[in-house]
Amino acid sequence: MAEPLLSIRDLVVEFKTEDGIVHAVDGISYDVFPGETLGIVGESGSGKSVSTMALLGLIPKPPGRIPSGAAMFKGKDLLQMKPKELRRLRGDEVAMVFQDPMTSLNPVLKVGFQLGEAIKTHYPKEPDDKVDERVVDLLRLVGVPNPEVRAGQYPHEFSGGMRQRAMIAMSIANSPSLLIADEPTTALDVTVQAQVLEVLKTVQEATQAATILITHDLGIVAEMCDRVIVMYAGRIVETGDVHTIFRAPRHPYTIGLMDSLPKLLEDEEWLRPIPGAPPSLINRPTGCAFHPRCFLSQGRLRCREEAPVLTRAEGDGHLAACHFADELVGHQSKFSEPVTA
Amino acid sequence: MLTYVVRRLLYSIPVLFLSTFLSFIFVSYAGNPLAQIRQNPRIPASTIHNLIVQNHLDKPVVLRYFYWLKEAIFHKFGDSLLVAQPIWPDITRTLGHTAQVVLLAELVAIVIGVAVGIYSAIRQYSAFDYTFTTISFLGYAMPTFWLALLLQILFVDIYLKWHVRIFYTSGLNSGSSGSTWSLDRLQHIALPVATLSIISFALYSRYMRASMLDVINSDYVRTARAKGVPEWRVIMRHVFRNALIPIVTIAALNLGAVLGGAIVTETVFTLDGIGYYFVSRLGTLDLYAVMAYLTVTAVIIIAFNLLADILYGYLDPRIRYD
Repeated sequence: MAEPLLSIRDLVVEFKTEDGIVHAVDGISYDVFPGETLGIVGESGSGKSVSTMALLGLIPKPPGRIPSGAAMFKGKDLLQMKPKELRRLRGDEVAMVFQDPMTSLNPVLKVGFQLGEAIKTHYPKEPDDKVDERVVDLLRLVGVPNPEVRAGQYPHEFSGGMRQRAMIAMSIANSPSLLIADEPTTALDVTVQAQVLEVLKTVQEATQAATILITHDLGIVAEMCDRVIVMYAGRIVETGDVHTIFRAPRHPYTIGLMDSLPKLLEDEEWLRPIPGAPPSLINRPTGCAFHPRCFLSQGRLRCREEAPVLTRAEGDGHLAACHFADELVGHQSKFSEPVTA
Repeated sequence: MLTYVVRRLLYSIPVLFLSTFLSFIFVSYAGNPLAQIRQNPRIPASTIHNLIVQNHLDKPVVLRYFYWLKEAIFHKFGDSLLVAQPIWPDITRTLGHTAQVVLLAELVAIVIGVAVGIYSAIRQYSAFDYTFTTISFLGYAMPTFWLALLLQILFVDIYLKWHVRIFYTSGLNSGSSGSTWSLDRLQHIALPVATLSIISFALYSRYMRASMLDVINSDYVRTARAKGVPEWRVIMRHVFRNALIPIVTIAALNLGAVLGGAIVTETVFTLDGIGYYFVSRLGTLDLYAVMAYLTVTAVIIIAFNLLADILYGYLDPRIRYD
């Protein structure tokens, strides 16, 4: 495989709170290759957003802390960079799209100005008319109708979907090589979600940017991603290419996530949620953090005492962190067979 | 926009009528303006009788309000009740002096308060933040007259000990007449301005700090940082302007409080301002002079509220005037 664009090793992120230290991200490692789309899935509080925000210096310090880890991006460690260097990278080489488009744009500045600011910040010598032209082109690319007029409007004159398009346009303004989309569709209606995902695909093709797509929606992962990382309680529990993960999941948590989705073509009376609640990140369960909720563990001592490491499962690049992953061989996921209807 | 301003001005007319009517009733029942004159044996009964007839003091109070209203509208508040002396020249002269003191005090308080508020918010929980939190609460808790007296004592003591005249502690000018903008005038009004601005400063710095902290943690500030905008520009362009919106309202509302504080301050420093004028006329129950003061301040407060609403729309494009 090609040289990775971003290579994260043993990243740890902690937050100091009054109740104790929250281990939001607890030693994760992964690679992002040029041009690919990597999905990061997990429940709320699993550390998916924090792990990427930490790379760009966007977590508040204090209370946040990055005691260890490395994040090599184009030969440089993001975590060792001075704030100024990191700032130059943000919005230029690495860009982010955030979850809630309703609150992510400044209400008192025109949308066109906010897009132009992304360009002007990194290329201050660019003449104003060129910037305005580029802003209109960007808005057109993401499918905002009447871009010339829209650029002169304020965010409150945009609908939610249009705002998220504007956010995406802003993120690709300087043709980044890495795009981080943090739950870009979570706050939107289902129909608008589909449109925004289309826009994301369009801009990926236009910019050839590698994308990290953070989501808790497995449907989006299936549609958009090449590879997927499943996170639980600040750790990676399973990773692999998207087909393998859906066909042959090797971690009980991944299976739980899939089973909790309702299936369209079967008559299901009940949803099948994962029992229990996400663990506290201050007092993590011993051993495997998932063991109190796991259907496979069944009280086995090893699950409680020994933290599992990522080991090779089904084929190349498919890793799962479960002591008893072998017992899941042949386990039928809901998505094991292609739906034929 | 223009229709909005016109409509607001039209709304303020009934507000003014109602507030002057209520004030008139209350002040009328506060006491008998002739009581002191009656005690004076050298004033003949006919003079008192003339005063009663001239000022319709034998008529019902509601009717007297309309007599007053006529005078106020057609003769610029007319003459004062006890002495045949026009009110309007006194009002314009004293209002000019008060405006100088109050506007200077507000300006100082807003500039320093906003600056301290911004810095406290950026360096939250720092020594600077704690220091100014303490100072703000001290300033806010300090009664106006007490602060004014402390400042007077301080500068009188400095003068007595070293014979250095830094600030004067009473009056507007050293000579009988002085210009509005001169070092002498500034030396005279510095302490009243300081008194009023210390109290307002406390208010502005606290509100600005809270408002900045609200905005600093908002999503769109994170977006600006994610775009790579330098931190000082994030603060000035994205945080400051949004944080300023509530401060505009506070400043307009606070003006009424500062005018109220000016009554005490001007009395302590014996300034020829409108607040001092009001208090001295209230002492003799000069109904018409008191009413003139109340009406003028009501107009000022209404005007500043309107100004605040217009500024609000300028700062926040989401506000629409229709």
